[in-house]
Amino acid sequence: MRFRGWVPLVLLTALILAVGAFTAVRQDAFLTEYNINNLLLSTMPLALVAIGQTNALLVGGFDVSVAALITMCVVTASFMLKPDETTFALLLGSLAIVGVGLATGVFNATLIRILRLPSIIATLGTLSILEGASLLLRDHPEGPINSDVIDALNTSIGAVPVAFIGVVVFAVLADIWLYRTAMGMRVRAVGLDETSSRRLGMSTGRIVFLAFVLCSVVASIAGFYSAAQVQIGSPIIGDYALQSIAAAVLGGASLAGGRGSFIGTLVAALFLSLISNILPLFQQPTEYAQMTIGVLILLALVLYQAPRLIAQFRSGWQTVGRLRTRPGEAPAA
Amino acid sequence: MSTPGPESPVVLSLRGVSKAYGAVQALRDVSFDCRAGEVHALVGENGSGKSTLLGIASGFLVPDKGLVEIGGRRRRRGSPSEARRLGLGIAYQTYSHVLDLSVAENLYLAVPGDERPTYGRMEKWAASTLEEFGLDVSVKVAVGTLSLVQRQLLEVVKSLLARPKVLLLDEPTTALGPQEVEQLHSLVRERSRAGVGVVYVSHRLPEVLGIADRITVLRDGVGQGTFEAAGMTEEALVALMIGRPLQLAFPERERDGRVPEVLLEVSGLRGDRFGPIDLEVEKGEILGIAGAEGNGQVQFLRALAGVERPNGRASCDGDELNAKSPLAALRAGVVLLSGDRAQESLFPVLSVRTNTTIQVLRSLGRLGFLGRRPERRMVDDMVRRLRIRMASIEQPVQSLSGGNQQKVSLTRPFLRGNVKLILADEPTQGVDVGARFDIYDALRAKANEGVALIVKSSDPLELAGLCDRVVVMSRGRIVDEIRGDELGERRIVEAIVGGGVVKASA
Repeated sequence: MRFRGWVPLVLLTALILAVGAFTAVRQDAFLTEYNINNLLLSTMPLALVAIGQTNALLVGGFDVSVAALITMCVVTASFMLKPDETTFALLLGSLAIVGVGLATGVFNATLIRILRLPSIIATLGTLSILEGASLLLRDHPEGPINSDVIDALNTSIGAVPVAFIGVVVFAVLADIWLYRTAMGMRVRAVGLDETSSRRLGMSTGRIVFLAFVLCSVVASIAGFYSAAQVQIGSPIIGDYALQSIAAAVLGGASLAGGRGSFIGTLVAALFLSLISNILPLFQQPTEYAQMTIGVLILLALVLYQAPRLIAQFRSGWQTVGRLRTRPGEAPAA
Repeated sequence: MSTPGPESPVVLSLRGVSKAYGAVQALRDVSFDCRAGEVHALVGENGSGKSTLLGIASGFLVPDKGLVEIGGRRRRRGSPSEARRLGLGIAYQTYSHVLDLSVAENLYLAVPGDERPTYGRMEKWAASTLEEFGLDVSVKVAVGTLSLVQRQLLEVVKSLLARPKVLLLDEPTTALGPQEVEQLHSLVRERSRAGVGVVYVSHRLPEVLGIADRITVLRDGVGQGTFEAAGMTEEALVALMIGRPLQLAFPERERDGRVPEVLLEVSGLRGDRFGPIDLEVEKGEILGIAGAEGNGQVQFLRALAGVERPNGRASCDGDELNAKSPLAALRAGVVLLSGDRAQESLFPVLSVRTNTTIQVLRSLGRLGFLGRRPERRMVDDMVRRLRIRMASIEQPVQSLSGGNQQKVSLTRPFLRGNVKLILADEPTQGVDVGARFDIYDALRAKANEGVALIVKSSDPLELAGLCDRVVVMSRGRIVDEIRGDELGERRIVEAIVGGGVVKASA
């Protein structure tokens, strides 16, 4: 099936432009280089973790442990990326953070694939473990993070952070991989129909395993950018689990697996950050951001469903659309 | 047919294979082999272990005990990809399609990695592959939009893509009409002449006798022996399958002494893919509808049942059937037994008890509470009458065999009062031999009560044996009517093939 992610993509881009234009007209502070840079930087953690989450969704699973994993990475950073470390030690520390992600991913994937737990339950357990461990290591925010590392992460060309460009390139490549290569097709096939995929000789277990490992590793990279934002070893980091799922779904991913787009996820993450970014400009409390995001998610999902709903109504209210004609009937020749 | 001698190499061999699911022993010490160039049929009732055997051969299931050899090489672990590498191709009864992917993508996935074309050339390659097999479908559409006939043929094509040494076909003709079956059989013969060993699983015995060189019979997970097809008869096979001789007898038609009284009158009825149709059905009559798949038979039935909206007139027992909804049709006494049991008739995860009584709950209720004892009595009564075989009435319907599932959906016309017309779409599809005759008996019993029945079936033998009269449909219209002494399997097949039907699968 061809790439079908364009509906969410067009919708989200239109929304971003509309909201952006609305704000730009009323608030001079919005279109400044400083604010745009700030907006894009604050998008980074969510964009990355949502891209990771898209992997899990593609194979028909969830990973709710990403939120606690990011916290764990920030806490780890506060120990490993201390202000006065040598470059070599910082490199090792960075590897340690990715290592935390890798270990978490393998742990999750083992629970899900080998011990056959439902992904939502398995990752809920991991979430709790990681949360507790983070609080054990840092019961209150302390341990500043190396400012050289923060500066490196935040390097920008004009208003655009280098890392953001990197994420865009990554998302584009990932979508090409997903929709234009045999391997990507296999991943989608596993998400759409695991039994058939297994019958076709695919190693479905390995694909699902890797998807969850990748999800956690990408989330740990999101941890770097989160650390760059809070700049201290805080055990309380925002709720990235639900937001990452929201971004992926807004971007066109299906909770049933097999469908999704990395570009769509990225644009959705940008949109969610935009909402949080502009509300303070209007002197509105951030609580509104959360409510707005919730309403918009529901609206968007209804819109995505629209073609199917319309088809259903057309086929008559008394029958469920699918029942109308048995799929087994060829048109009479 | 070139019968391969015993000197032909064995391409698939299973020795002493056993497999249990919990307490149920699905296979017990079964041995089976298939030589290069032969068609080896595997027959048995539903639940006799055929699918388990194929699952083990294909690597999808791991046996508890026993050896599997493909092309003379021993398989080490259960893995479909390994079996495929060793030269095994399989067409699954329930298919291996990813419905949301395109035809081209599905074909692509069915080829081993090193033989795949580059991704960019996929659609061109898929189109030429389909042309080679004479299957005329667009490679760009999702498999989910194909008809069942097309899906089934596509599944067979997929199983052949890796040029297997041994080919497993699990019920490859359930969705096919006589013409497509012939098309498939000539393909199978061609492959077996080319040296492929074919394992052919089917419940259609005439088909099996027509194509197989050898036949192995399974009963309750135990092998009943392997026989040369040339010396076998249908009766002998059935006796081996069910463990007792079975009269291949359809229920008696009690036509004498019945005063003809028209119940269903259809005139000028037309709708999506059928019509105009004029037809009358009498009380107590079983009318069969024959025809190649996809010629409007199903749509016609569904229009009568109010599932689809037709134009024209239809009346049942004097009441106008301006069927606006299935509920209205039910109120007029019209019951549809859908061909798609799992999706449309049953709640697969619910128990036999619930599925039986869910339609008549009101009659069991007392102040909104269910009377458990009357409910049990009702279910037990139905189980006895329809000879439903199961461990307990609390068993989920999806764990029953196809035949017993169909019997559960047959409880509907029995429990509802005011049933005047029963529309049965493929009432015995996927149903084993023993259960088939129970279903025929049940349908005939309904007819003898004065109910009219319309049975759509792709099995001419069934139509000839069960029905009082058969009409043949082609391109949405009735093109032939067969009754009385004329009514026979051969005559029906001739009418279908000769009915000016262009290839329906195209």
